[in-house]
Amino acid sequence: MSATVSRRGFFTALGHPFHPTQRRSQSVPALKGGAPGPGDRCESGAPSQDRDGLAGNSASALTAIIQGRFCFALTSFCSVCTERCPVPGAMKKERGLPMVVPDVCTGCGICQEVCPAPRNAVLMMTRRTAPAPVPV
Amino acid sequence: MITRREFNRLAALTAATAVANARAQQAPAPAANVPVGDGITWDKAPCRFCGTGCHVRVGVKNGRVVAIEGDQLADVNKGLLCVKGYHVGLALYGKDRLTQPLLRRNGVLEPISWEEAIETIAQRIMAAPEKFAIYGSGQWTIPEGYAANKFIKGGLSNNHIDPNARLCMASAVTGYLSVFGVDEPAGCYDDLDKCDVLIMWGNNMAEMHPVLFSRVIDRRTKGEKVTLIDVGTRRTRTSEFCDHYIEFKPHSDLAIMNGIAHLLIEKGGMNAEFVARFCNFRKAPKDPAATPTAPLMGDAMTFDEYRAALSPYTPEQVEKLSGVPASTIKMLADLFANKDLRITSTWCMGFNQHSRGTNANRLCHGIHLLSGHFGRPGDAPTSLTGQPSASGTAREVGTLCHFLPGGRMILNAEHRKESERLWNLPEGRIHPKIGHHTMLMWEKFCTSADKGGDIQTLWVQVTNPGQSLPNLNKVFKPKAALPDKFLIVSEVYRTATTELADLVLPSSMWVEKNGMYGNSERRTQQWFRMVKPPGEARDDCWQMLAVARRLHDLGHLGMKDKDGKFLFTFKNDKGEEVPVWEWPRYYEINVDKSLFEEYRAFTRYKHKDLAPYNEYVKARGLRWPVVQQSDGTWRETKFRFSEFDDPYVKKGAKIQFYHSTTKDDKAQIWFAPAEKAAEEPDVEFPFWLCTGRVLEHWHTGTMTRRIPQLHAAMPHAYVEMHPEDARGKGFANGETIVVKTRRGDLKLPVWYDGRGHPPRGTIFIPFFDERMLCNELTLGDIDPISKEPDYKKCAATVMRAAVNP
Repeated sequence: MSATVSRRGFFTALGHPFHPTQRRSQSVPALKGGAPGPGDRCESGAPSQDRDGLAGNSASALTAIIQGRFCFALTSFCSVCTERCPVPGAMKKERGLPMVVPDVCTGCGICQEVCPAPRNAVLMMTRRTAPAPVPV
Repeated sequence: MITRREFNRLAALTAATAVANARAQQAPAPAANVPVGDGITWDKAPCRFCGTGCHVRVGVKNGRVVAIEGDQLADVNKGLLCVKGYHVGLALYGKDRLTQPLLRRNGVLEPISWEEAIETIAQRIMAAPEKFAIYGSGQWTIPEGYAANKFIKGGLSNNHIDPNARLCMASAVTGYLSVFGVDEPAGCYDDLDKCDVLIMWGNNMAEMHPVLFSRVIDRRTKGEKVTLIDVGTRRTRTSEFCDHYIEFKPHSDLAIMNGIAHLLIEKGGMNAEFVARFCNFRKAPKDPAATPTAPLMGDAMTFDEYRAALSPYTPEQVEKLSGVPASTIKMLADLFANKDLRITSTWCMGFNQHSRGTNANRLCHGIHLLSGHFGRPGDAPTSLTGQPSASGTAREVGTLCHFLPGGRMILNAEHRKESERLWNLPEGRIHPKIGHHTMLMWEKFCTSADKGGDIQTLWVQVTNPGQSLPNLNKVFKPKAALPDKFLIVSEVYRTATTELADLVLPSSMWVEKNGMYGNSERRTQQWFRMVKPPGEARDDCWQMLAVARRLHDLGHLGMKDKDGKFLFTFKNDKGEEVPVWEWPRYYEINVDKSLFEEYRAFTRYKHKDLAPYNEYVKARGLRWPVVQQSDGTWRETKFRFSEFDDPYVKKGAKIQFYHSTTKDDKAQIWFAPAEKAAEEPDVEFPFWLCTGRVLEHWHTGTMTRRIPQLHAAMPHAYVEMHPEDARGKGFANGETIVVKTRRGDLKLPVWYDGRGHPPRGTIFIPFFDERMLCNELTLGDIDPISKEPDYKKCAATVMRAAVNP
């Protein structure tokens, strides 16, 4: 049996770095860090400033919060964060809206990395209490 | 220069405003609501991506698009956008924009001048004008498509022009034509606000037309009751919101619709008065080859014959064919039998990319007509389009190999004559034989001349056939081994198509040029150029006009009208001719306006009347027929064929199908049998393979994959499987596997319990990823009437990859 690929590994294996022309044979410059543009949120898929601003501690001290007013699922349809969350049970959907289960969330920040909203809807917050152990 | 942080703030501000408005269902806020500071100028444009036709406001600063927001004045989206729409401005700014013409020499694309590029094309055409073809798309603006159509049909007496709409909407066209005698939906998006029941037939609206779906979901939020029904072959995000998810065996949708029609008749649900007054019955012609229009006209049948033909489709038999429980078929029939309900049906590629696509469209219209669910707001069968101007350009301008502008046909001598008159051409200029449709065009291009491959030079604009054609190993890749074939590609980025191109022309895109689009609901939209294209990139329309002019100068007689004037002669306000084929002078006048005003004359024949260009400048699009009122204003039409709204319906008629194929103002209810698919799973290839799109990427992903936010959200393709199928094979979630069909094989990661949930025995692959071309696997068996290929059904097998990449 082949090794299991983690959910994180599934989308990161081919996803980064950003190479839209990977299959090209010719002299297309590799697009390291993504195409530049007016709304270019992050240069290498790195988390944006919100996380940096609050992340004084290690990742496990953080938990994600979805800011409903910025979330696409509110007015349109989006499920990227719940699909890509690597921790089973850390995110759930209620009537199409994503919710974080803080006791299960490990604060890895993938949901923030992948959020496609114009204003990132995921805020990484310092936990008030120690995280519960991740269920096996 | 605006900083990223500022952009985000702006985008967020405007997004939040739009959200608040949409949620509250308030009247659109005045445009003054948008930020105006920081030296940003704002203008309107329809979104570049899908056929929904949302309007965006585009913020420009220092010659760059810096902000996008939903346009609150737009009826279509009322300020709302989907995830692609909010980022549409970034489509212009991928790092690898093409900025100079490139010619392949010794296998390598090398920069050349525009003069050389235009000369090269002109010489290829001069050498063999009848072996030249144009392949365009529903992403052509209306004036671009019109210019291309006039150039090749009116100038070169050659009808080898087809758009990628052939791969997308062709079956909807033949459906509308054979049922109503005229293309495009009678209803519009307002139906979504009025319907009690919305049935989505193989249509994942939450991902493909999210703004339209949110219009419906919003009604629920307000407490209105709308029953949503998803009839499909795979559980999608749309299914999550639906009251009923009805899963059927691939290709058995015709049986379900026949089952509904059967019950309507047998259980008294038929609206006998409506049918007697407004409908005839039709079946496939005995001899489809008798006349060219025989497959569209069909043969008459009586009601009793129709009823007898349906008699095998009992609920129990339909259950056997489709896997849908008989009780569910009865539930659907009961809905249609209820005259108090308003029922809207929508569909898109599920019906159209179907080797019986025309019949699927006909049967859906049929159950609406049979039950009288037609002609009231909320009661309509409506096809949705995937390309921004599939309707406006491909269908209305008629950039297909058998059409002339305004719904006219190549095969009709009167239509050719009329077109020659409008184009001021000598009689007989337009070739009477239809050209090659898409699949045939590419097959001929990929076949050597000595084996009958009669297309030598092919010019592709605004589309990416190297990724989107089915069965690529047959109809695209063989070009690489045919040195005498010449592929010209007008593009904005390198794509799977430019890989085999001999000449690449850098193009302007979206708000780098003037444009007009026509969306799914007959709405014609206009925008102005707001920023300049990068480097030496130039408008697609200019490229066409420059080649036409070069041919004129080389002495090609077709480039002159019957008075000896160049086909594309434009004058400025002072009446002086402007040589627009010289790029620096192209924007001296509004070429779009000149072409559009010329095209307008074609549109009245099928009552698709368009207003003058300036009306579209003022409006967020207008739905045709747009008819001038006695006070001089222009009024759009929301509901065609209905007396209460359509000015072309006779007084007292209530409903009038004034382009009826039977000339009696009646629509046709067709009978068509359920048939087997061209290739079905067997022992060797036990899975159904379905392909499609995802929310974050549009079409072949050449634009959306260069937008970092969208790329991060959906970075690569995958194959969706049922978890039990995957576990049965021992596949771990995310493991790279091989998907194989009789046409090719492809390595990609397997994903189960992911976004979509195919049933056991079905796999699904999205087609946006050029690194994993699922069209190397697809069959592409075509509908015999529309010539549209099936991308949704073929037989495949899956296996562990021998060596992981």
